[in-house]
Amino acid sequence: MALSSAAPLSAELNVPIAARVVSFLQPPPSGTMAAAILFEPGNAASEAEANAIERAVGNGLVAGRSAIRARRVPIGAMGALSGYHVAFVTAGLRPEQGDIAAAAAKSSVLTISSDAACVQAARCVVGISTVPKTQITVSKAAARASNIRFGSAFLMLVKEI
Amino acid sequence: MSAMTRAPLLRSLLAASTLLAPAAVKAQAIDYQALQETIGEPVTTSVTGKPQRASELPASAIIITRDDIAKSPARDVPGLLKAYAGIDVNRWTAGQTDVAVRGGVQTYNARLLVLVDGRQVYLDHYGMTDWNLLSVQLEEIQQIELVRGPANALYGFNAASGVVNIVTRRGGQAPSAVATAELGNHGISKISGSLLLPVTSTIGLKLAGARAREDERSIPTTLLTPAMINSVASNQITADLTAALGGMDLTLGGGHADNRQIEYLPSQLLSNQHFRSDTMHGFMTRDTDWGGLTLGGYVNWLDADYGVGAVPDATAPITFKNRIIVAQASSLIRLSAADTLRVGTEYRNNRLRSDYQFSDRISYDVASANAMLDLHPLEQVSLTAAGRLDRLWLHQSGEIAQPAYDDPAAFSRAFTRFSFNAAVLVHTGAEGLLRINGGRGYQLPSLVDFGIRLPIITPSPVPIYVAGSPRTNPVAVWSGEIGYSHPAGPVRLEATAFVTRTKNAIASPGDGLQTELFLSPAPSLVARFQAVGDFTTYGTELAASGQLATLVWRANYTWTHSDDQLGGTALPIPFALSPASTTPTHKANLTLTYTTGRASLSGAARYTSATRQFAFSTSPQLLLYPVDAAVAVDGRAAFHLTQAVELFVAGENLTLARGAAVSPIPADRRVRAGLRLAL
Repeated sequence: MALSSAAPLSAELNVPIAARVVSFLQPPPSGTMAAAILFEPGNAASEAEANAIERAVGNGLVAGRSAIRARRVPIGAMGALSGYHVAFVTAGLRPEQGDIAAAAAKSSVLTISSDAACVQAARCVVGISTVPKTQITVSKAAARASNIRFGSAFLMLVKEI
Repeated sequence: MSAMTRAPLLRSLLAASTLLAPAAVKAQAIDYQALQETIGEPVTTSVTGKPQRASELPASAIIITRDDIAKSPARDVPGLLKAYAGIDVNRWTAGQTDVAVRGGVQTYNARLLVLVDGRQVYLDHYGMTDWNLLSVQLEEIQQIELVRGPANALYGFNAASGVVNIVTRRGGQAPSAVATAELGNHGISKISGSLLLPVTSTIGLKLAGARAREDERSIPTTLLTPAMINSVASNQITADLTAALGGMDLTLGGGHADNRQIEYLPSQLLSNQHFRSDTMHGFMTRDTDWGGLTLGGYVNWLDADYGVGAVPDATAPITFKNRIIVAQASSLIRLSAADTLRVGTEYRNNRLRSDYQFSDRISYDVASANAMLDLHPLEQVSLTAAGRLDRLWLHQSGEIAQPAYDDPAAFSRAFTRFSFNAAVLVHTGAEGLLRINGGRGYQLPSLVDFGIRLPIITPSPVPIYVAGSPRTNPVAVWSGEIGYSHPAGPVRLEATAFVTRTKNAIASPGDGLQTELFLSPAPSLVARFQAVGDFTTYGTELAASGQLATLVWRANYTWTHSDDQLGGTALPIPFALSPASTTPTHKANLTLTYTTGRASLSGAARYTSATRQFAFSTSPQLLLYPVDAAVAVDGRAAFHLTQAVELFVAGENLTLARGAAVSPIPADRRVRAGLRLAL
């Protein structure tokens, strides 16, 4: 069976898979979805992942019937994440994950990270790992806090904690 | 079937689909492509009804993806299936193909249920599948799923040795089209294609169709044939309208297919057939906070003419008119983050009309209820159990053919059967998976098995009839297996051991003509379709697959042993059924696909050990003819002129192995070239 999903070489977020995850939101998103790439200036790992995500999204990434457009947002300027539908949480932001979760809950933002600990701590809604095979983890508590819902077919294929 | 008869049925389907429209829940039909791209491997609902990863299924299953299909030398669904372990594909004639899972090779195999998008394309009149009448084109297929072993607990009667579900593509936001035109030797010509057209942002239209022709193979002069041999011809067209409306996903569609070809009947007589089928369907899917709901139904009509053009002047064929109505409802309920319950119910009415049966109409109704529970008590362990109860009521009506060989009251019969499947999956280490599963399913006697009444031409001074029997019981199939899969570096390894026991298998009368004598009103003899005994098949399947740079490879080996306690094969052969003779003991496949730049090359080599297959000699006498062991090589070379235009040349049985078709009629080499457009 030939597989088509691209796996990143490091623990960076697999952005095409993240875009697919967005397409399983309920109600299904349409039009343009604004995404924030949350990063910490001066943190090499965070900046590197932000750069990679920005490159992967490019001028826009199709997510089902919608298109994701992303911009880099320094963690200090995150505010309440108002105006964003999605936030990509880069590595190296563990001290700030609590604030990110609070802002995401306030503005009903879907948070996605390659950092499994963020999801385990119920501070990110979705975690994506691709080694050894694609595993998507969804935090029920974080999803509930942000009023995020996914289709049941999608939830039956992922690990919900 | 007249258009006037069909219109109320379509209105009923439409009405049923709109009944639930006002409820304010969110919809999401299964989008197999999107789910596959998300989790990195194919997804199927064919095993339990819930979406599951291909690598974590509680049954042995095959998933052939769209990419596999595009690069394969195969030109139909059986051609794709034959490259996998545990699958026997017999090309009895150029048009007639049977697919058997884990043994039990015979013509008109009734134990493999075939579905397109969950709708039955298996033909109930005789209990068989005409693979040239599927009304589905390779261009529109998203994936082909085959579950080995009984799957009745989900699908009901006839998924007794397995089920094939062909999933077609869903439309996207942009129009797309795929079309293929090809020409080859032996009169091969085919035009096929599919078109996905968004009508609005929420409504999509899919059109697909094909026209195919090819010549029959050269039939040895030692075999009994009709005076005229038809070439293979098929025409198919389908249309589907999909809509995401009011929180639901709706599908409404229909199609027509037409197929002429020469076939081996279950009696092993060669006969020219002409099948015409029509279908209409409507399905609704909703996704809710607690799971999903599916409601739908379909109607299939079949006009089957047997013995078409038995002589050049043409005789009146023997015609059967079959109609099946199915209504289904099911719900998938998430009990917790990991545990799932599925409940479903189904009603079907199946009717066969013909002048060549006990009475004008033989029919039955089946009411069913089923449930599946998928539990994950531990992180590394999952348990699946499914059960289904089917209650069947048999009927006959209309004028009774005389002399009648059964009491009409014998057709006022009902019976109940319970099917089940159970499985335990244990994850060993990070990626190993141990699977132990089994179940019991049933093959339903076909409508012909119940009610056919056909005079046969013999030199006997006493007329002889071939007849069904209303007392025929369903065939029980028990299955158990243990499988283990594990990656070894870049190679995925799978090993399975299985056993299948088929009880009271039904067979067509053969040469022995075990008959009943009726003396009133005048002497006549009756040979019955009947249960002739049991057979057991056991074996192992070993498979490995991997990728080296741009070379994708897949290899497998199957050892199958069959024991049967049937009618025997000593002359005169009483029944044309002997899986121990007809099923190859050894099968092996190697498939390679190499892609570089604009070119792709694929090759498939298949070994099948020697068998013996039934056919009538010109005497005429039913005999078992030896079929040689064969190494058959298929290949396909393609070059992309542009991203949208591909030129290809492909061939089947390039090694010209006579036994490659596993048929009394030797295989030939078929080569074709063509153009494929993907817009």
